[in-house]
Amino acid sequence: MAMVDEPLYPIAVLIDELKNEDIQLRLNSIRRLSTIARALGEDRTRKELIPFLSENNDDDDEVLLALAEELGVFIPYVGGVDHANVLLSPLEALCSVEETCVRDKAVESLCRIGAQMKEQDVIDYFIPMVKRLAAGEWFTARVSSCGLFHIAYPSASEVFKTELRTIYSQLCQDDMPMVRRSAASNLGKFAATVEASHLKTDIMSIFEDLTQDDQDSVRLLAVEGCAALGKLLEPQDCVAHILPVIVNFSQDKSWRVRYTVANQLYELCEAVGPEPTRSELVPAYVRLLRDNEAEVRIAAAGKVTKFCKILNPDLAVQQILPCVKELSTDSSQHVRSALASVIMGMAPVLGKEATIEHLLPIFLSLLKDEFPDVRLNIISKLDQVNQVIGIDLLSQSLLPAIVELAEDRHWRVRLAIIEYIPLLASQLGIKFFDDKLGTLCMQWLKDKVYSIRDAAANNVKRLAEEFGPEWAMEHIVPQVLDMINNSHYLYRMTILHAVSLLAPVMGPEITCSKLLPDIINASKDRVPNIRFNVAKVLKSLIPTVDQSVVEKTIRPCLVELNEDPDVDVRFYASQALQSSDQVMVS
Amino acid sequence: MLKQFLNKIPRKAVKTDSPDTNGMEQGDNSNGFQCTLGGATFSSRFNVVKRVSSAVFPTGGTEAVDPHMSFKVVSNSQKQSLFLSKLTLCCELYDFNDHDKNYSQINLKHETLIELVDFVSSGSVKFNEAAISATCKMCAINLFRVFPPKDRSNSMGGAGEDAEEPMFDPAWSHLQIVYDLLLRLVSYSSLDLKVAKKYMDHSFILRLLDLFDSEDPRERDCLKTVMHRVYGKFMVHRPFIRKAVSNIIYRFVFETQRHNGISELLEIFGSVISGFALPLKEEHKMFLLRALIPLHKPKPLGVYHQQLTYCVIQFIDKDQKLASVVIKGLLKYWPITNSQKELMFLSELEEVLEMTSIGEFQKVMGPLFRRIAYCLNSTHYQVSERAHLLWKNEHILNLVSQNSQAIIPLTLSALERNSQNHWNQAVLNLTRNLKKILSEMDEELVTSSQRTSQEEGSTLSSTLEKRKAAWERLEAAARGSLISTDSAACPVTF
Repeated sequence: MAMVDEPLYPIAVLIDELKNEDIQLRLNSIRRLSTIARALGEDRTRKELIPFLSENNDDDDEVLLALAEELGVFIPYVGGVDHANVLLSPLEALCSVEETCVRDKAVESLCRIGAQMKEQDVIDYFIPMVKRLAAGEWFTARVSSCGLFHIAYPSASEVFKTELRTIYSQLCQDDMPMVRRSAASNLGKFAATVEASHLKTDIMSIFEDLTQDDQDSVRLLAVEGCAALGKLLEPQDCVAHILPVIVNFSQDKSWRVRYTVANQLYELCEAVGPEPTRSELVPAYVRLLRDNEAEVRIAAAGKVTKFCKILNPDLAVQQILPCVKELSTDSSQHVRSALASVIMGMAPVLGKEATIEHLLPIFLSLLKDEFPDVRLNIISKLDQVNQVIGIDLLSQSLLPAIVELAEDRHWRVRLAIIEYIPLLASQLGIKFFDDKLGTLCMQWLKDKVYSIRDAAANNVKRLAEEFGPEWAMEHIVPQVLDMINNSHYLYRMTILHAVSLLAPVMGPEITCSKLLPDIINASKDRVPNIRFNVAKVLKSLIPTVDQSVVEKTIRPCLVELNEDPDVDVRFYASQALQSSDQVMVS
Repeated sequence: MLKQFLNKIPRKAVKTDSPDTNGMEQGDNSNGFQCTLGGATFSSRFNVVKRVSSAVFPTGGTEAVDPHMSFKVVSNSQKQSLFLSKLTLCCELYDFNDHDKNYSQINLKHETLIELVDFVSSGSVKFNEAAISATCKMCAINLFRVFPPKDRSNSMGGAGEDAEEPMFDPAWSHLQIVYDLLLRLVSYSSLDLKVAKKYMDHSFILRLLDLFDSEDPRERDCLKTVMHRVYGKFMVHRPFIRKAVSNIIYRFVFETQRHNGISELLEIFGSVISGFALPLKEEHKMFLLRALIPLHKPKPLGVYHQQLTYCVIQFIDKDQKLASVVIKGLLKYWPITNSQKELMFLSELEEVLEMTSIGEFQKVMGPLFRRIAYCLNSTHYQVSERAHLLWKNEHILNLVSQNSQAIIPLTLSALERNSQNHWNQAVLNLTRNLKKILSEMDEELVTSSQRTSQEEGSTLSSTLEKRKAAWERLEAAARGSLISTDSAACPVTF
């Protein structure tokens, strides 16, 4: 250990720290690697620190993960982009460790560094490293290599490019499914960098191999890449190569495969063009919407709006809408819920008339669904339908749905509906709100569950923002302040919280005249928790109100609280006093 | 819909086996495979193996026999053909969710399956090529299926996360008999392996292994027995099975952390490992190192820990030199926050130490006893108790006493901390006892260690000071150096 007078050996400090048994200390020292590098200077960082790190990767995974992350942003400390290549060696070592998240992070960092490296350096250092990893003895290195090809490829010469393509296709036929999976999931990224001529030959044959893999898990990842790959191809090639594959997969015996297809079918529509979409993809999609497996219908239902946006409206009405009707009464609540979360978006696509004729009955039936998620999802997207047909047609069914959700026995449901209240208020207008929803908002402030009370306080603030202080003075502030003397201290605390949130919205004048007196009163509360919350609230008010008010009203109250018998009250009071001192100084 | 299933499945089962594994076959014969899972039909293995003539000259044309006839009413010569047509009948799949509609067919198939099993167990069956092929095909069509998705009810505020009920295939009543039939085929004493392996090829085995992910413990149990038998019988498939199981384990450990059949797979491997020939091949050691030891990491360790420990112990039993490797692995994956897992690790550690020689022990005792010292101090009293109990083990005590110079100082500071701070009375008692044991071992060392551990306590703060000072000087030096860190985010706090 270096004594204070001795010369400083930054590496020695690091080595010493990394030897420590306490993992937290080792982690801290890795997190401060840049400090050590700067203390060393660029030159010694390259010659001493980096080699040391390359050799010492025998630590806990957590430490290695931190190291992989730090090295990703280390270029400035080794002397800039010109020297970036020295960073490859420690990261290359990390690409072969066992733990997945360390490897992933190392690959991420390597990509980041490779993207900045000079072209010649990529050729001299990066590509050879990718080749070494791809030939790695243990699968971890080969898995990592798959994620690096898209960085290496663009800079490579023709000869190297051919070689890289060959290596990639070998990785796709690797003995270990782990490697094939990694190659399959990175195929899209790599393909995006490959020239169009090779795309049609090399990449497509790789893709076809992967789609016929004997491991379901590999085939699944190949399907996931379908859409990305399709977008790279010319429409006629996409029709020739991708379309038959995906149509075939849409009838695969594994529901996971069909699920994946359902998720991305819409992305292919653009890639293949309108006619094949009509003749091939729409029938496939309709089949998926009627799949036997609920999980597949969930995925398909969730994409129904995106799909319809691509189609012309007539086709959507003829082909898709009948399925939508069926799905709205599906036996699985999750299917209905997925449908409800997107169906409102179909209104702009179909236009006013079709919406009223076809969609409105579905909206109404979903609003009465027995499953709260479904109703919530409809309510959350109300603005989309409001733009097309106006709210009046819905409002009659809306209110009972909202009230029922507001009183649902699951607090998460209540929480979700509170989140939408400001949206509803803006869509429904002040009048509707005054008549029907105002009381609900006050009722939530006295909910049994803390999260609901907390959200309710926030909601009150957002309403005040939405409708302005004047409205709030009439419809919110008096009602809230009414409750500040509630017999239960938890409710009093909620009100205190709501008041503190309202203050900035209402402005200093109203704060001082209406809110502050009640807060000051609360400082005499018999429950200490209320008193120290008063101190906290006062602290938050100091910057917003006039200095004279601070002097005349707030400080005296805080001074009093600072003498409180309860230690916590004194703590928060003194904190507030301190911050008021600071405000005065500045 | 059913037609689609039927068209797809059998194409793989007919594929002929690739000859690349023939080289391995020879080497593996020496590994003398033990079967510990027992089974009534197994004794027949010792019977004189007779070549059934029809296996050599497979019956070319099979005259179709009405599958609805009973084996009792047809002539002996027709029985074999009836067997085949009954197998074909059982290739039909029925939707059990629509039980009412398919009631009579489902019943018929059930009865047919039972007839098939009875016929096979009566011993009158000849598993010639046609029969093997038809049986494999029927098993493939019935067994190889995709498991349905996990039920996702109760996603929102559901009253309770009730214990996950395993999902049972409604067709189990059929599947069960199909498994029985497959087992009887694999156990068939005079099975012509050369012919059988054409139909039980790599793809067949891979799909069989895929089924281990079934949620139904009864199904996994059937699979275990079948796969164990396959491994025992098909020498040529052994390397492939080992590799495929490794891949399942890798995927479980490094990718998904979800698999229902790990404990069954490990049970098979328990007996596979005990059958390995000595000296252990590098491939087998790699399996320990890269599959078994990382298996200690996933969260659901509790489900298969017992089987895992058994496998690990089998390895050490084969090769003493693996003990230190295993202990290092345990230390690497030692749980930090999960006390339940920590208890499992401690009990496995004790079993491993039981079999550890003094030489191996010395390779790892430093880090090992630092870890044990942490366990002694655990605030979870069961962990702490379990760690104390290690000393009750004669063998471990012996190892410790022979290396007391290294171990007592490490342990004693932990014991001191316990007697000052631990909340649990039982732990305090154990600590007192353990101190007594150590004192009996080496009184002098104990007192001197006690002294140093007290001194350490007082120097602790000064070490902290020094560390802080060193970093502050580093920060200062770093600030001094002029690196153009325009793009680098400096994490320095001023």
